[in-house]
Amino acid sequence: MIELLQNLIDGLGRGSIYALLALGVAVVFGVMHLLNFAHGELITISGYAAYAAGQQGWSWYIIAPLIVVCAVVSSLVIERVAFSRVRGESDFTLLLTSFGVHFVVSAVFLLYVSASVKTYPRPGWVTNTYSLGPLNIEVFDTVVIVVTIITLIATTMLLQRTMFGLALRAASADFDTARLMGVKSDSVIRGAFALSGLLAGIAGVFWLMRSGSTTPSAGIDPMLKGVLAALIGGLGSLRGAVLGGFALGLAEVLLRSRLPDSIASLTEGVVFVLIALLFIFRPQGLITVAHAERV
Amino acid sequence: MFPSLGRDVAFPVIGSVLLFSAFVGAGLIYQNWLGGAAERLVTVMLIDAVIVLGIQIYVGNTGVLSFGHIGFGAIAGYTFAVFAISPAEKAKRIPDAPFGLAEVDVSSTAAVLIAVLLTVAVAFVIGVGLARSGAQSGAVSATVITLALLFVTHEVARNWPELTGGERAGLFFPIGGKLDTRAPIYIALFGALVVARVYAQSRSGRLAAAAREDNLAARAMGVNPLVQQMAALLISVAVVSVGASLRVYEDGSLLPQNFFFNYTLLTLVMLIVGGRNSVTGALLGVAVMTAGRELARRLGQDGFEIFGIGLDGEPLDWVFRENLQTVFLGASMLGFMILRPSGLLGDWEFDEWLRSRFGRFRAGGRAKAAAAESRPEPLPELESVEPSVLEAHGIDVSFGGFKALSDVGLIARSGEVIGIIGPNGAGKTTMVNVITGLVEPSSGKFSLNGDDVTSTPTYRLARLGVVRTFQNLRLFAALTVRENVEVSALIAASHRQGRTLIDVDSVIAEADLWEYRDRRARELDYGNSRRLELARAAALAPSFLLLDEPTSGMSDLESAEMIEQVRHMAATVGAGVLVIDHDLNFITGVSDRIYVFDHGEVIAHGSAEEVQADPLVRAAYLGTERTV
Amino acid sequence: MLEVTGLTTKYGAIAALRDATLTVGSGEVVGLIGPNGAGKTTLLNSIAGLLKPSAGRISFEGRDVTGHPPERLLLSGLALVPEHRRIFTDMTVEENLKIGGSTQSGANRTQDLNEMAELFTVLRSKWNTAAGFLSGGEAQQLAIARALMSRPRLLMMDEPSLGLAPILVDAVFELIDSLRQQGRTLLVVEQNATRMLEIADRAYVLRSGEIVAEGAGGELGKHDDLFGTFIGG
Repeated sequence: MIELLQNLIDGLGRGSIYALLALGVAVVFGVMHLLNFAHGELITISGYAAYAAGQQGWSWYIIAPLIVVCAVVSSLVIERVAFSRVRGESDFTLLLTSFGVHFVVSAVFLLYVSASVKTYPRPGWVTNTYSLGPLNIEVFDTVVIVVTIITLIATTMLLQRTMFGLALRAASADFDTARLMGVKSDSVIRGAFALSGLLAGIAGVFWLMRSGSTTPSAGIDPMLKGVLAALIGGLGSLRGAVLGGFALGLAEVLLRSRLPDSIASLTEGVVFVLIALLFIFRPQGLITVAHAERV
Repeated sequence: MFPSLGRDVAFPVIGSVLLFSAFVGAGLIYQNWLGGAAERLVTVMLIDAVIVLGIQIYVGNTGVLSFGHIGFGAIAGYTFAVFAISPAEKAKRIPDAPFGLAEVDVSSTAAVLIAVLLTVAVAFVIGVGLARSGAQSGAVSATVITLALLFVTHEVARNWPELTGGERAGLFFPIGGKLDTRAPIYIALFGALVVARVYAQSRSGRLAAAAREDNLAARAMGVNPLVQQMAALLISVAVVSVGASLRVYEDGSLLPQNFFFNYTLLTLVMLIVGGRNSVTGALLGVAVMTAGRELARRLGQDGFEIFGIGLDGEPLDWVFRENLQTVFLGASMLGFMILRPSGLLGDWEFDEWLRSRFGRFRAGGRAKAAAAESRPEPLPELESVEPSVLEAHGIDVSFGGFKALSDVGLIARSGEVIGIIGPNGAGKTTMVNVITGLVEPSSGKFSLNGDDVTSTPTYRLARLGVVRTFQNLRLFAALTVRENVEVSALIAASHRQGRTLIDVDSVIAEADLWEYRDRRARELDYGNSRRLELARAAALAPSFLLLDEPTSGMSDLESAEMIEQVRHMAATVGAGVLVIDHDLNFITGVSDRIYVFDHGEVIAHGSAEEVQADPLVRAAYLGTERTV
Repeated sequence: MLEVTGLTTKYGAIAALRDATLTVGSGEVVGLIGPNGAGKTTLLNSIAGLLKPSAGRISFEGRDVTGHPPERLLLSGLALVPEHRRIFTDMTVEENLKIGGSTQSGANRTQDLNEMAELFTVLRSKWNTAAGFLSGGEAQQLAIARALMSRPRLLMMDEPSLGLAPILVDAVFELIDSLRQQGRTLLVVEQNATRMLEIADRAYVLRSGEIVAEGAGGELGKHDDLFGTFIGG
């Protein structure tokens, strides 16, 4: 029981980051029908920004906002340079375009920085833990969970209370009708990328704090987590993406602690198998309902 | 089975010989020019070509984007290595290999065979999963499953050192020296080319391509896309497995990262740059990308110049040059997706071009060739047809809370033309969807010649002879007119044997499409597209032909011609016809009996005169008076 | 107010609308009638900027607006209530209305929200309900109210009575009539020709993508041959 509770808390901490990443993927998918395989590159880019800032000896109070700004700006630049040019193309083209962006970004860092791991100082409290009764809780997880909850509440407010939020939801539901209501397609898509970048930036702060290093291919892992969590939640659905993130985090923690030692190192693989099975039996994801085939 | 065997194998094989010669020739010339330094480059290019052709068989014919083929390659590569390495070597590297594999000793040819069989078996399992997930052209869930395969194989390779040597050590071996002759590679490449081209021309390849172009229309023509996708997957994986084994043999070592993301990127870029729907394109893509990477690499060396561009001074270190290649790959993928997503060649195919140029001179002489060129005689109408009855009783359909059909019944017999009319939203198209298995009724029964066929899958109903057209034109756009009709002729040949089958050319001529027979369907204008849809449905020798708004968007004159065409086509294949239209004039001109739908119910039924005189019909068309 | 000349719109090779010419004067209610497949929706969607016409010219209040995107046309004062209503089912009634007023200032929007609550009593009681739970008639009222939120000078409606039970059809036509009495300019596509002609000042009949008849509402309605014109008999 205690162990399960411990797993639950660890899973929430891990799942929080995934939820933020997945929400960013889902927001973009909503307006553009693009499954963004380049989402993790926002973290790669931010990681190098963190490295550069670390070289200057800046503190994390400066580095953290810098990471967020960097992710938002990169998200907008990538939209402008690549995705705005393939709007409305086939799913095949969109998928490969995002795949292409992923490779170009990592290749550019390979070329101009290097393939080696770049490290930067991590704040001291990242590894601290405190006890709550029989539970051992990381300070880091606590901060992550609290910040994620605040972020999710703020995002919900944004989506429900502001005109931009309404426009974004309307455009995700029915792009043409939203335009008939005066929603500007350019601004809503750019807004979606900005929001997606913001969420990735916040997730990125924690991701980078925990890893303490970056490489040109550092984006693959967060990209996979975000994309998979969004898929678990059923892609179009924002609520589903958040739930998918938490589900993925919990599943990883549970598998890692429950699997026999000999295959515990295969956790990632097992998670993939589970997800593949999910798609085989529920291709529409956990949350959404199937739509009737239109003829 | 081939549409007509003699013609369709000759050109793909001749084309493959020529393409193979050109491709290998170009490689050898470059190798001769540069000497030994380029030998490995050319060998690698040839092996890459085998793998890319393998991927093309699946991605090109089905339209499903797969990230997983390099994962299949990894399975094949490891299987090959574990079997082919001599027990003495294995004792050094992987002494604890499971299943007693450490002692196994087989020849490298046998090892390739084992690798192919095992990987194809895995592919079968994955294929079942893909089918379950509803794989079709551009489907995201299918792509994610293939991506999962890539990652799972990678994870297993990294974490199973007893078998794979693990992430760092890997497997390193002389199997008996490196591959000392290129002969096996040449054989594999030529084989891959022929397999890819012949598959595309085969029954399965054509049906898969039809489903790629329009999954729903293919099912409505009796194609089961899942079976064809599976066939494409298995063949494709077999070719990739051979390529992967060769690559492992040639490298003499194997690390998990060899068959992972970067190689997936490289092979996909090669495929996309040349044109994923074309075998010629895949080969061109391999050549172009290999040349491009080589150029990128050499531009980083001192003293190499092309058109005055080159490095002056310090040569770049090799790490930088390697990375320059990766940038080149990523940029090519992005550039092509943005500017030319169909690749350099689109769906141009070398042997098809050969056929269009030299097809006339093939065996048989001029007389026969002339006969093939001339327009076929008009088809006679069938004298007697086995009578069929299509019957629906008490059909209810609701979407959410909305009742689209309530208690609808209708009956149609072969030889009859039944009209269905009614205002927008009356439930006409829903009725056709029910009859063709696209919408499941919440209650009611629907039978064909007395057999209950309620909730039978669309493709099976088509094979039973219930065939439809679509309101918003669903042709196989990238296929030619003839190929469109051949899809249904192929299905008819294997599933409609009881019926009088009609010749493809005659149907095309009958639909006034003779001079357009080699045009791609997407190039046709509207009237011709409509006629092609009719011809494609007729070639299936249907018992019942359901036409959904065949005249929508046509002028009155064209509609009148369409009436004739529908009547004649139906008589030629001996089918009963159900035709939906908004145009009462067209319907009365063509139908023996008419059902009038409104608000999901049949409000009138009878001959044209009876229906036109019915006040309810007038009201349904022109609107009701005030109800209070 | 609105002048459309020689408008032709194609879907690929299909010319769904050929050489259509029509005008709508300020304060007029103009009907567009014809069987389904005649090109009525294509005509409205082309005017509203959802479809790009391949030939012809659209001018609104004297300015050429051909090829303008829908969001820009809305700013010019041209709004469309689309076919099948297309309300945002996951959003509340209030949110739907706010989206409709997205081009207005905050103060205007609040004022209009209050006005809609007055005007559409049915909606007021479901203000915070997700629009997906509305009945067909309520949803149609919401769709019209949503379009009014942009303060259009010309309001186009595509088949407002489609799929509604007869009693609700009455409600929709009463609503159109009350909008007319407010002096609004309307261009309405309807399949229910009889009812449309009763309230329209003028009407055009479309068939097979072409405008085949034009006249004052009452006149066209009296025409014995309307059924024939309609079905091409």
